[in-house]
Amino acid sequence: MTDQADQSRRNFLYIAAGGLGAVAAGAAAVPFIGSMFPAADTLAAAKTEFDVATVEEGQLVVIQWQGKPVFVSNRTPELLAQLDGHDDMLKDPNSEAIEEVSAEWMTAENRKYRSIKPEYFIAVASCTHLGCIPLYKPSAGRKEWGTAVPEDWPGGWHCPCHGSLYDLSARVINGSPAPHNLHLMPYKYTSDTKVVIG
Amino acid sequence: MLDTIMQTKLFAWVDRRTGAADIIKSQLTEYPVPKNLNYMWNFGSLALLVLVLQIVTGIFLAMYYKPSAALTYGGYTVAFDSVERIMRDVNFGWLIRYMHAVGASAFFVVVYMHIGRGLYYGSYKEPRELLWIIGVVILLIMQGSAFFGYLLPWGQMSFWGATVITELFGALPIIGEYLQQLLRGGFAVGDPTLNRFFSLHYLFPLLLAAIVGGHVHALHVVHSNNPEGIDVHSDDQKINFHPYYTIKDAFGVGVFLTIYCYVVFFNPQMAGYFIEVDNYVPANNLQTPAHIAPVWYLTPWYTILRSFESKLLGVIAMGGSLAILFVLPFLDRSKVRSGRYRPMFRLMVVMFFVDVIVLGYCGHSAPSETLKLVGQIATAYYFAFFLLLPFLPMVEKTKPEPEGI
Ligand code: FES
Repeated sequence: MTDQADQSRRNFLYIAAGGLGAVAAGAAAVPFIGSMFPAADTLAAAKTEFDVATVEEGQLVVIQWQGKPVFVSNRTPELLAQLDGHDDMLKDPNSEAIEEVSAEWMTAENRKYRSIKPEYFIAVASCTHLGCIPLYKPSAGRKEWGTAVPEDWPGGWHCPCHGSLYDLSARVINGSPAPHNLHLMPYKYTSDTKVVIG
Repeated sequence: MLDTIMQTKLFAWVDRRTGAADIIKSQLTEYPVPKNLNYMWNFGSLALLVLVLQIVTGIFLAMYYKPSAALTYGGYTVAFDSVERIMRDVNFGWLIRYMHAVGASAFFVVVYMHIGRGLYYGSYKEPRELLWIIGVVILLIMQGSAFFGYLLPWGQMSFWGATVITELFGALPIIGEYLQQLLRGGFAVGDPTLNRFFSLHYLFPLLLAAIVGGHVHALHVVHSNNPEGIDVHSDDQKINFHPYYTIKDAFGVGVFLTIYCYVVFFNPQMAGYFIEVDNYVPANNLQTPAHIAPVWYLTPWYTILRSFESKLLGVIAMGGSLAILFVLPFLDRSKVRSGRYRPMFRLMVVMFFVDVIVLGYCGHSAPSETLKLVGQIATAYYFAFFLLLPFLPMVEKTKPEPEGI
């Protein structure tokens, strides 16, 4: 029997059957892995509406979007002025690393503001290092904040976890462990002060 | 005792259908073990004991624990409240929960001692490479399981710890973002995360039990190393596992349980080391605690992560520091096993133990400039230890090993 068997045909059949089995097993894994991704209702809750007029001048509020915290800050002209003059301290002064989300409205002038309306700044409140929520320390210098911030602090956010620093447009400052500026998310104004985030 | 049981009719009936007598003989009563094992060899059986304790207490806790982040009338969450209910209302709930929480730390104490013993006496070397590698898999599953479990009380440290660690996976190129969503089941840590972590926290110990079976089986094929690190051949240098080492292990269990019970009853939180203080504050996704640190047994790796400016490098280094354990048997080229006969290795390995403790300390403390530097040096030594091993035999003059034990 054995010597009559065509071994190469037999091997082909083994490999074909085994290969098919592996493909089937792989296909069977799809629904299981797939089930672990965000469910439809989680995705559906992906938009948030907010009225920026509720934020007082110079104040910061934290709202929720997709279960993530989001910063909305109202920047006075003084605070906006604090955005100038420290581009050389920034890792990515023009926010070029992750363009897509803001591509629609980002123009040469509002690159430093990183927002549609300069006075209302909106960004995801998770430090791009490991996701802690940075603390808002808007005034410049060390007067109010002590040694947690550098001498030439331009005002912005300080992450308590590993010390990342961001300026008032949440652009990350050199020497921080965080790799990127705080992420922006897609949003648009539906009226003068109403924004839809997501 | 065992003999009398084995002579009964009932046992004979079972034996004919299972071969139980042969198993008992080959694995216990006639399983040969070097006669000179010291107390460092107790930690394997202790680890098995703690695993059983964790599984048993965990099963009972799961009868009352509810993995849901839904808000309750009190303004907390279902999960947080169910843990507090276990502590206050469930009969003996406080005891079972403290046993489980202290057990987690005890598990790592015991396993780290077990690993340290393997390192010092060269137990990972030929022919025990695979035994060691299976052990590293066990360590990884334990760490995963502990991480999943830590989310369940849904306190501040649970929540932010899970956020930070799942965020790590996001640092990986291309797959990072998907992997992160897969772990979280959403865009941030939330209810879906809690549910799946509970499921995985229940699954991992089962995996653990199976793999521990493989570990013990592999051990019984290659047999125990010993403090001298030499192969023992002649029968007069070995004794049977039962009753000699069962008794010795039982003594170890007695000592262990004394300490364990002391901690469970008198100091279950261990000054914030076993249960962190921040975890008594319910999870709040809008506020980060001032200082986030993992539980003590994960802090050495957390320091390695923090030692790098670049997030991706940090993640790679942390992964690498665990992965390098897999190749340890192949990095160490010396034929001599035991640290007793390797003066330079002995110094290096003792420094390595100190180094890991330093790493752990740095990871547990709030970050500061000095600690960062200390952490970086310690991280450098962690890797240097492994990477120097292949070259060590070129310069090291080993001492002569004894003929027998
Ligand atoms: S999470 Fe913000 S600095 Fe690490």
